[in-house]
Amino acid sequence: MKTKRIVFFPFFKRVIPADFENWLEKMAADGWHIERVRQGSSMIMIFTKGMPKKYRYVYDLRAIANKDYVSTYEQFGWQHLGKMASVNIWRMEYSDKRPEAFTDKESIKGRNKRTILAISFSFILSLLALIAISIVLIFFPSIISADEKTQLIIAAVVLAVFTLMLGAIMIIINKRNIQ
Amino acid sequence: MTETMFFILLSLQHEHHGYGIMLHVKELTKGRIILGAGTIYNSLSRLKKDGLIKTFSEDDRKKTYITTEIGEKILKVEAKRLAELCSSAKPLLEELK
Repeated sequence: MKTKRIVFFPFFKRVIPADFENWLEKMAADGWHIERVRQGSSMIMIFTKGMPKKYRYVYDLRAIANKDYVSTYEQFGWQHLGKMASVNIWRMEYSDKRPEAFTDKESIKGRNKRTILAISFSFILSLLALIAISIVLIFFPSIISADEKTQLIIAAVVLAVFTLMLGAIMIIINKRNIQ
Repeated sequence: MTETMFFILLSLQHEHHGYGIMLHVKELTKGRIILGAGTIYNSLSRLKKDGLIKTFSEDDRKKTYITTEIGEKILKVEAKRLAELCSSAKPLLEELK
């Protein structure tokens, strides 16, 4: 029987925080668990087979959090699985009532807004880098060697894919917000 | 002021830590409002930044908070506004009877 399950780019497929949480919860209900979340978890997540569990996961993106952050969640019984980029993943086992970390409209909105801001910020950064590289390649090809040119073209392609992906994520989030 | 902010500020007339606030608000509202960890953390950060509450005590895991003088004043202004709303709403309840 398979005991490990590997999922690539779990985050990019489920960009809405609630979708990501629900997906992790469904995996846990089927007996697939993650014990730690690390920087690399946005690229690859490895689930281990175990007993089916009723887990509530919470996705909370925070660029800055003071030390009260972790202790406040822990007082409520949440377990900190770790951080990928600035996204904290919390988990709590439950039986009847599904626990919530954000319980009023303002904080749910705030959580979604922080997520959209972070994605927009990365989008603008990668777009600026792409523009900078394109300017060098198109207008100043004489100042770089052939080797450097190849490297820059590769970088430009990677950045273009990344920018397009972030753009697509922004469109999806916007559409979902209108609904 | 949102309902959440009002109840948190009301609780912090006495010192409480995050979880203690949730329990207190739950009791005050007879279980209607059960605040989550994320909401409490957001609200406390906000209230502290605005100078309405301050740290009361701190050990390695738990920090307790209490209202500041300004916080107390603002709480009273808000209470006055709510009382006014209540008295305006009362005749409606009489009509409904």
